[in-house]
Amino acid sequence: MIKATAYAGAFVGAAMHALLPAAQADTVTDYEVIYAPAMQATKAPKTVLTEITYAGDRTIAVGDYGVIIFRDSNDQPWQQAEVPTSVLFTSVDFADANQGWAVGHHGVIAATTDGGKTWQRQLDGFEYIQLQKTHFENLVAELTAQQDEFDGSDPDAEEALYVALDNAAFALDMALVAEEEGPTKPFLDVRVLSSQVILAVGAYGSLIRSTDGGASWHIQDNYVENPDGFHFNALAADNDYVYLAGESGQVFRSADQGSTWETLDSPYYGSFFGLHVDAQGNLWIVGLRGNIFMSADQGESFSQIKLEDTVNINAVVDAAAGGVYLVGNAGVIGWVNQQGDIENMTHASGAALTDLITNKDGSLTVVGQRGVIEIPQFSSIQQTTTTKEQ
Amino acid sequence: MSEQSIETKSVWLERALFNFRPLWFVMFAVATAFLAWHASMVRPEASFTKMIPTQHEFIQNYFTHQEDLASLGNVVRIAVETTEGDIFTAEFQKTLQEITDEVFFIPGVNRSGLKSVWTPNVRWSEVTEEGFVGGPVIPDNWDASEESLDKLRTNVLRSGEVGNLVANNFKSALIFVPLNEINPDTGEALNYQEFSQKLEENIRDKYQTENVKIHITGFAKVIGDLIEGAYQVGLFFFIAIVITLLMLYWYSRCWRSAFAVLSCSIIAVVWQLGIIKLIGSGINPYSMLVPFLVFAIGVSHGVQIINAISNNRVDGHDKFAATRLAFRSLYIAGLTALISDAIGFTTLMVIDIEVIQELAIAASIGVAVVVLTNLGLLPIIMSYVGISPKGTEYTRKAREQDHPVLTTFSRFSQPKWAYSALVLALVGVTWGLVYSQQLKIGDLDAGAPELRPDSRYNLDNKFIVDNYSSSTDIFVVMAETAPSQCIAYDNLEVMDRFTWHMENTPGVQDVKSVVYVAKMGSFGLNEGNLKWFSLNRNQYVLNANTGRTPPGLINPDCSMVPIIIYLNDHKAETLQTVVASVNAFNQQYQQEGLELLMAAGNSGIEAATNSVIEAAQTKMLLWVYGVVIVLCLITFRSIRTVTCIILPLMLTTIMSQGLMAVLGIGVKVATLPVIALGVGIGVDYGIYIYTKIREGLAQGMHLNDSYKYALDSTGKAVGFTGLTLAIGVATWIFSPIKFQADMGILLTFMFLWNMLGALILIPALARFFARFGKPIH
Repeated sequence: MIKATAYAGAFVGAAMHALLPAAQADTVTDYEVIYAPAMQATKAPKTVLTEITYAGDRTIAVGDYGVIIFRDSNDQPWQQAEVPTSVLFTSVDFADANQGWAVGHHGVIAATTDGGKTWQRQLDGFEYIQLQKTHFENLVAELTAQQDEFDGSDPDAEEALYVALDNAAFALDMALVAEEEGPTKPFLDVRVLSSQVILAVGAYGSLIRSTDGGASWHIQDNYVENPDGFHFNALAADNDYVYLAGESGQVFRSADQGSTWETLDSPYYGSFFGLHVDAQGNLWIVGLRGNIFMSADQGESFSQIKLEDTVNINAVVDAAAGGVYLVGNAGVIGWVNQQGDIENMTHASGAALTDLITNKDGSLTVVGQRGVIEIPQFSSIQQTTTTKEQ
Repeated sequence: MSEQSIETKSVWLERALFNFRPLWFVMFAVATAFLAWHASMVRPEASFTKMIPTQHEFIQNYFTHQEDLASLGNVVRIAVETTEGDIFTAEFQKTLQEITDEVFFIPGVNRSGLKSVWTPNVRWSEVTEEGFVGGPVIPDNWDASEESLDKLRTNVLRSGEVGNLVANNFKSALIFVPLNEINPDTGEALNYQEFSQKLEENIRDKYQTENVKIHITGFAKVIGDLIEGAYQVGLFFFIAIVITLLMLYWYSRCWRSAFAVLSCSIIAVVWQLGIIKLIGSGINPYSMLVPFLVFAIGVSHGVQIINAISNNRVDGHDKFAATRLAFRSLYIAGLTALISDAIGFTTLMVIDIEVIQELAIAASIGVAVVVLTNLGLLPIIMSYVGISPKGTEYTRKAREQDHPVLTTFSRFSQPKWAYSALVLALVGVTWGLVYSQQLKIGDLDAGAPELRPDSRYNLDNKFIVDNYSSSTDIFVVMAETAPSQCIAYDNLEVMDRFTWHMENTPGVQDVKSVVYVAKMGSFGLNEGNLKWFSLNRNQYVLNANTGRTPPGLINPDCSMVPIIIYLNDHKAETLQTVVASVNAFNQQYQQEGLELLMAAGNSGIEAATNSVIEAAQTKMLLWVYGVVIVLCLITFRSIRTVTCIILPLMLTTIMSQGLMAVLGIGVKVATLPVIALGVGIGVDYGIYIYTKIREGLAQGMHLNDSYKYALDSTGKAVGFTGLTLAIGVATWIFSPIKFQADMGILLTFMFLWNMLGALILIPALARFFARFGKPIH
C-alpha cells in the first residue's frame, strides 16, 4: 500500500500537471504501469487490441498500454480516451450508453460514466491483493470455526469443509506471496449485468463481483468449483443465467447473478476463450483448435461445429445476415449461418484476432494483434475452406 | 638581356634549381620510381570506423557494446521474386530451395542463422490441448504436389513469417543471410568485395530469369558495390587526363609543353599516392577525389609556367633564360597560392571524422608535392625541351590580337558593367541565402545513400522495403543494466513504456526488443491467448517467457539489451526527432539501474555523424575563411583588397549552398570538405588577378588599364585554370557512387563560379571602392 499511496501522490501531481501544459513533464523515478496514465498515442488504433463493444451507438475498443479508443460511427476517426493506467486491458463491457467497465492486467478495473471518454480506476492489483488477503483470512477463520463445531455425525460434510478450508488456506498463502511479489493476476473478461452488478473473471480462477456499481468489490473465487485454479477466460449472460468458461474445458452457470455456480458437463477438455448468447438465445462456446460448440438449451447439451483450420477461436458475435461471425488466431474469420454451415476465411495479415463487431452498414470491425482491422464485407476476405456441421 | 644579367638578378632558390639541373633531374627520377612502387600498392578501402565521428558520445556507447551488437546488423537479404502468379508453385519452390542451398555454401555465411522457407529453423507452431505442436514450414512429406503446396501455404500463415520471409503480397520470398565478420574456421576477416561478387555470380547471374527476379540488400552488398564503383574512378582519371591533354594543346599549341605539364602533374599524383602509402594512410572513396585535385592543381600551375615561358620566348629569350625568367616571375605567386591551398585544406582537420581528416592530409600532401613537381621539375624539363616553334609562333600571334578572355572580362572594370555585375551578384546572394535556408544536414535519399537512388542496390532495397515489413533504417538504443538484470521486471516495464513512446514518435515504423519477445512468449505460453500479451511481475514467468529470445537481443551477461527502432527514412529531421524523443523519455523516466543509451544501427550512427557535421559546418567555414583572410592580409596588407578577393568567394559559398538545397544534396561527410576545398582553391584566382591589378595601379595606370594588364598577364591562365580544374572533377559526376557524384557537381560549380567571380567581381568591386571610397593605392 505504501507504493500505492506513493503513486496516488504521483498521480495527483500528474493530474495537476495536466492543468499546466506549458510546464515540464514530471520526472518519474519509480515507474509503475498501474498508475502511469495512458499516453496519448497516434498509433493507439494499431496496437494490440483485445475487445471491442458498443456503448449506445458508440464503438469502444480496449488494449495494450492502457489504450481505450472510441468513435461514434465507422466513418469517423478513432479518439483516445483519458485513462489513468497503462496496463493491457483485456475486456470491456457497458451497462448503457454511459456506464462501462474495463478490466486488465495487474488486477486493474477501470470505469467510465461518460460513455468511455474518461476513465477512473476502481480497483488495482495492490488493492486486489489486500481484498484477497482479507477475504481468505475471514474465510479461513469462518471455516475453522465451523470445523470446531463438527462432532463427527456428518463425515461427508466434514470432508467437504476440510477441502474448502484447505483451498481457502492455499488461496490465503497465495495472497500473502502476492503481497511480496506484487500483482501478477490479470483479469481476462468483464460482464456488466446492470449498472450495479458487474462480474470480472481472470487468471487462476479469479472471480470478483460488485453489486454497487463498482464502489466495492468482493472476491467470489470460492463459489466456483475450480480446485486446480484453472484460468477463467470468458463470461456471457442471457435472461436466466450467467455463463462462465475457462481453461481445460470448464463451463459453469449461475442463476443468481454470480452468487452461486453450477458446473456444467463440458463438451470438450481443451480451453475455451469465448462465450456468446446469440439473438435466438443459443449459447456459443469457442476455444482451442477450432472447437466451436452451440447449445440451444442453455448449456444442458452441445453440438459441435468443427473448423478444419485448427486454430484458436476467440470470439463470437451475431452476424448481420443471420447466424454468427467468429474470429480466431492466424487471421481466421468465420461465418456460421442459420443452417449451421460454416464458411471460413483467412485475413491476409495472419494476425491473432480476438473480437469483432458488425457496423450499421454491415461491415465488420475486427480487433487483435495488429489493432483495428476494417472489413467492408465478409465475402471480401480471401476464402480458404468450407466445412459442414458434423 | 644577357645570361649574365639573368644570373645577377636571380635568387638563391632559382640558382639552387637551375645550376644543378642534372642532379635535380636524377633525384626527381629516383624519388618518382621509389614512390611509384609504393603508390602501386594503394588499394581503395572502405573502412566503416573511419567514416564515423569516433569521439561522439553515441559512437562511444556503440563501441562499448560493439561485440554484443555484432550479430544484429550484418545481414544480407535476398528476395526471390516471381513475376507470374504467387510463390506457391512447384517451380518457384524448387528455385527457392536451390538458391537457399547455394547461399549456404558461400564462405562467410553464418549457416546456423541462415533462414528461408526452406531451412529447418523456420517453423510453424500452434497450441493444442496438450501444448505446443509445430514443425518445419516445408511439410515433412513434400512432393511438390498441390496438396503439399496447400499445406505449405497454411504453414506459412501460421509461422508468422508473412512480411518477414514471405512478402506481404506472396509474390516473393526472402532468404535471410547473417554473416560472420570473422571466419570461425580460418580466423580471417570477411572480404566484402569477394562475398559481394560471389552473390552476383552464384545467385543473381545463375538464377535470374524472365520469371524470377533476384533482389539483394545488406551492408556487405553496399560495401561490395562501393569498392566496385571505386575502381571505375580509375577510368574517370584516364578520361580527365585525355581531356586535359587536349586542352593543354589547345591552349599552347605545343605538344612538348603539353606533355611536360601533364607528366609533371601525373608525377605529382604518383608522389602523393606513394607518400600516403608510406605514412600508412589509405585511400577511401572520399579521399579518392584528391588525386584529381592534385592533378588539376598541378596542371593549372604548370600552365602559368608554360604561359610565362612562351611569352618570354616571344620576347626573344632562349629556352633556358625564358624558363629561368618564368620561374623568377611566378614562384612567389605560385608558392603563396599553393600554401594557401594547403593551409585551407588543413582546416578540415577540425572535423572529427577520420575520412575527412585523411582527405585533408592527402590534399595537403598533394599540394606540397605540386610545389616540387610543377615549380621545380617542370621548369627543369622545360629548360631542356623548350617550347616548340609552333607554340611560340601561336603565342606571338595571340598577343597581337585581343584574347577572348580579355575582350569578355575587361569591361567589368567600367562603371556600368561593374554595377550591373554587382547587382546581379546581390541577386545571386539573395537567391543563395533564400535557398540555403532549406539546406539539409545528412543524407536525403532512401536506401543506401552512398549509392545512387536508381542504382541496382537501391532498387533492390526499395523492392524489399515495399514488400516486407522491415525497414533498412535502424536506430538502436542500448538499454544498460547491472549484470543479469536486463530482463528484471522493473527494467522491462520501463523498456515497454519506452517502446510505446518511441512507436508513437513521428518517423518510427516499429520497435522491437526482448520486451516484445517476452510479451509474445506470454501470449504463446498461455495457449495462444492474446489477452496475455503483457509482461508478468513474476520473474520466473518472465524468464520462461523470454526463453526463446533469439541471439543478439540479450548480451551474454544480461547487462544490455538492444532496443531496435525501425525508421521510415534516415532524413536528418527524422533522426533529430528520434534523438529528441529518446532524450525526452530519459528526462522524464529515470529508473535506477537502467540506462537507455544512444545509439547504434546505421541510423544511430548517422544521427551522430549529422550532429558532428552540423556543428563542424560553421566551425569549418570560420576556420577556412579566417585562414584565407589572414593569408591575404599578410600578402596585400589592405582590408579593401582582401574584401575584393573574399566577397566573390563568399558569393560562391552561399550560392553553392543554395545549389545543394535545390539539387537535394545534404551537408554530409562527402560534401562538407568540398566547401573548404572550393574556398581554398578559389582564393588562388583572386590572388593572381589582384596582384596584377595592384601592379598596374602601382605603375600609375587607371583601373581599366590595370585590369586589362592583369587579364593579359594572368587572366587567360586563370580562365584556363578554372576550366581544367572543373573538368578534372566534372568526370566524377558520372560516378556510380552518389556522394562522389555530389562532390563532382559541387566542385565543378565552385571552380567555375570562383573563376567567373574572380574575373567579374574583383574588378567590379575595385570599381565600386574606387567610386565610393578613397582611390585605390
